[in-house]
Amino acid sequence: MELVNVKKLLDAYFEGATSLEEEKALQDFFNNETVADDLVQYQPIFAGLKAAKEERSSKAFTLPESKPKTIKTWWYSAAAIAVVAFGVGSFYFSQPHYTQEEKEALAAFEKSKNAMMLLSENLNKGAGQLTFVEQFTITKDKIFE
Amino acid sequence: MDKTEFIATVMPFKDRLYRLAKRILVSTDEAEDAVQEVFLKLWNGKENIGNYKNPEAFAITMTKNYCLDRLKSKQASNLKIVHSNYQTSENIEKNFEANDGVEMVFKIMETLPEQQKIVLQLRDVEQFEFSEIAKMLDSNETAIRVALSRARKTVRDAMIKKYNYGIG
Repeated sequence: MELVNVKKLLDAYFEGATSLEEEKALQDFFNNETVADDLVQYQPIFAGLKAAKEERSSKAFTLPESKPKTIKTWWYSAAAIAVVAFGVGSFYFSQPHYTQEEKEALAAFEKSKNAMMLLSENLNKGAGQLTFVEQFTITKDKIFE
Repeated sequence: MDKTEFIATVMPFKDRLYRLAKRILVSTDEAEDAVQEVFLKLWNGKENIGNYKNPEAFAITMTKNYCLDRLKSKQASNLKIVHSNYQTSENIEKNFEANDGVEMVFKIMETLPEQQKIVLQLRDVEQFEFSEIAKMLDSNETAIRVALSRARKTVRDAMIKKYNYGIG
């Protein structure tokens, strides 16, 4: 490449006004030809850019197995559902359930229980009164002894 | 899309993503991790990858965003970027150790602002068209050209300085 051309391209290059082809020409020029003294400071730039492109990733890329992951998430949701179901279920079943007939029987039982309680209460009241009678008997016995 | 198909789609631009990640993150290990991370994201969203006109451009955008996020979170947690791969690992700079100038170019590129670094990488290393870069970076061609020109000039000025004072 002509020296004049190189200089023109360089000016355009630093203004960001070169095309990819022109940049390639510059790269080739500075990497392959002996360069005049007044251009020697540009050589490392193009050598460096070329070297930078040679760099390769050395670590192998590993994809995670996708199958176990889906199974895992599936299990998580299954376990969550089971726990919730157990909670709701145990709450539900801990409540007693009665059929209509049983409910009526229960109501009747409550009613009769109340009635019995009332009766026994009154009976206790009556029994309480009996102590007076007892006292009366004791006093009477003392007098008539 | 199954595994083989996915690999066939993404493998051709793996090195490109790696180089971009390395340009931004500097560390070789972090760049490798970034590529792995981006590929995993692509794999998890593989049902959609067919919808993108250009999976490569999409992957490059993802890589750029991921790396910039990494940088940000690192700065936020006040961690220094640790990279010990200059002299030790078998990277390309090592091959050019004899060539002082090239090593210096890499050093200067490291000091560029992120956006300029990325533009320089995508244009001068990966040789993408301006229109492609603009799409990848969600920018416009003029802005890309300006950033690129600035980046190139920064490198040039540093090199001129170096050569005027003599190498070493």
